[in-house]
Amino acid sequence: MKLSTLFNHDKFVITGEVGPIKGAIHRDKSIEPSCAIEALQLHQHVHAVNVTDNQSAVMRLGSLASSVRLKTNGVEPVYQLTCRDRNRLALQSDLLTAYSLGIDNVLLLTGDHIQLGDHKEAKPVFDLDSVQLIEMAQGLKRGYDISGNRIENYIDMSFGAVVNPNSDPLELQLMKMKKKIDAGAQFFQTQAVYDVRVFEKFINKVEKHNIPIQVGVVILKSPQMGKFMNKNISGIHVPDEWIEEIGSVDKEDRKKKAAEMTGTFIRKVKSMIQGVHIMPLGWTDIVPDILEHAEISKQD
Amino acid sequence: MHATIQKPIKEIVKHIRPGEKVFVVGCNNCAWKCYSGGEAETEMMAQRLERRGIKVAGYTVPGPQGMSLCKLEHTRKVLMEDHAEEVKKADSFLILGCGQGVHTVIDATDGGMVHPGCDTVFGGETVSDTHIEEYCSLCGDCIIEYTGGLCPMTLCAKQLLNGPCGGAEDGHCEVDPNRPCGWILIYERLKKLNRLDLLDAYQPPKKNSKWSRPRTLEVSPTEATFCYIGGKVTVNNQD
Repeated sequence: MKLSTLFNHDKFVITGEVGPIKGAIHRDKSIEPSCAIEALQLHQHVHAVNVTDNQSAVMRLGSLASSVRLKTNGVEPVYQLTCRDRNRLALQSDLLTAYSLGIDNVLLLTGDHIQLGDHKEAKPVFDLDSVQLIEMAQGLKRGYDISGNRIENYIDMSFGAVVNPNSDPLELQLMKMKKKIDAGAQFFQTQAVYDVRVFEKFINKVEKHNIPIQVGVVILKSPQMGKFMNKNISGIHVPDEWIEEIGSVDKEDRKKKAAEMTGTFIRKVKSMIQGVHIMPLGWTDIVPDILEHAEISKQD
Repeated sequence: MHATIQKPIKEIVKHIRPGEKVFVVGCNNCAWKCYSGGEAETEMMAQRLERRGIKVAGYTVPGPQGMSLCKLEHTRKVLMEDHAEEVKKADSFLILGCGQGVHTVIDATDGGMVHPGCDTVFGGETVSDTHIEEYCSLCGDCIIEYTGGLCPMTLCAKQLLNGPCGGAEDGHCEVDPNRPCGWILIYERLKKLNRLDLLDAYQPPKKNSKWSRPRTLEVSPTEATFCYIGGKVTVNNQD
């Protein structure tokens, strides 16, 4: 099921996210990798589950293999594809492969830099940027590769892109977002946002594009995590109020609190958007609670 | 200019065989500016080698200050004529200059054995006597017409051509918080110039064939031809 179809039917689209394991999938098919188990936990509550691509530039099981495993298990994957590790041949080939293996949704991104990960001496590729990647993917949808050669059996997938509402200057981020729309992006998932005012300001500037936007939320598990993100994760700002609030309860009550805080945030912004992208970072079990607090549920 | 930094002396010495006589060659242009191979550093290198028991056949820095080692005919004359006797005694050449300079010495000495004394780190602007910054990646496919002269291939860690990633924080790059986001520099500059409209154009994928190595440039007073793997470009300088 393509997410763009759901958006076209005015569904409020809920997606989750899992990260592939650091290792291979077991040959014994009865043993599921943790990412597939998490995805199965999310399954009843979300329309699709993003599968990250060597997230944070840490080498892991491939996003495509993991996405196919999810699909086999009946979970709709959003295959994430980044420019960091592949040149234009590999990117196109992987898109054709993904479509051939039944993938319907792909999120096209730049990717975190090699320096943030566990293979710091690797060669960063970045042959294309994310705008060019979307433009190229759109070509494959129309029957042409990036060199203008005809291809057989065009890919028919839904293309997602990302945007960061926290960026300053926002105008520069919006310029790039517009380029992504022009290139063929069909929906956007945002970087994690915690501040309603920041998100509102962003939405007011992009409403004119009339393109589906899912607000990105990362579950804040502890005050330490908030401080860590503020110090180490660029492009995300966790306000002090969030850090204080999650820290106001004992550890054993944090899941409950996190669900309440995240759900409340989504409830406040849901009228501005067409969906939500929840990044649980392992706390998949509280996603139902989050949705309850947000007063939303998966519409089929 | 080609920015260079001397290799650690231990590493240089490690590659010189027992009894090998070395002739030290500096560069009076870029390496002089980097204090890696000017007259003072070249003379000092000869002394540093001798202190470590290495026989030095001679040393020189071809030409006056401002003259590059990579000017082949001049370097050939200096080494093969002006220093002919010392060069004859030398088993090898230690070059305090960039990689182009190393090859110039190979050509100038008809294939002499060489040891690189420096790492060539980047092409840079000499911002001050003690500070050199990289502003150009020598990619051969310049797009800085659209960016107010600031190169995203160089100033953006991900070499993005259509705008920034989402990772900048307080104007700094996600890769290194000590350096500015190249795209924010471009944005601020174009804003000041009232030319933010330049950012609207879609930048197509890079022609990486122009960045293929090795490349050549044939030049004359009237035209120049840039040759790269898979193509060439000829431009008339007069019309």
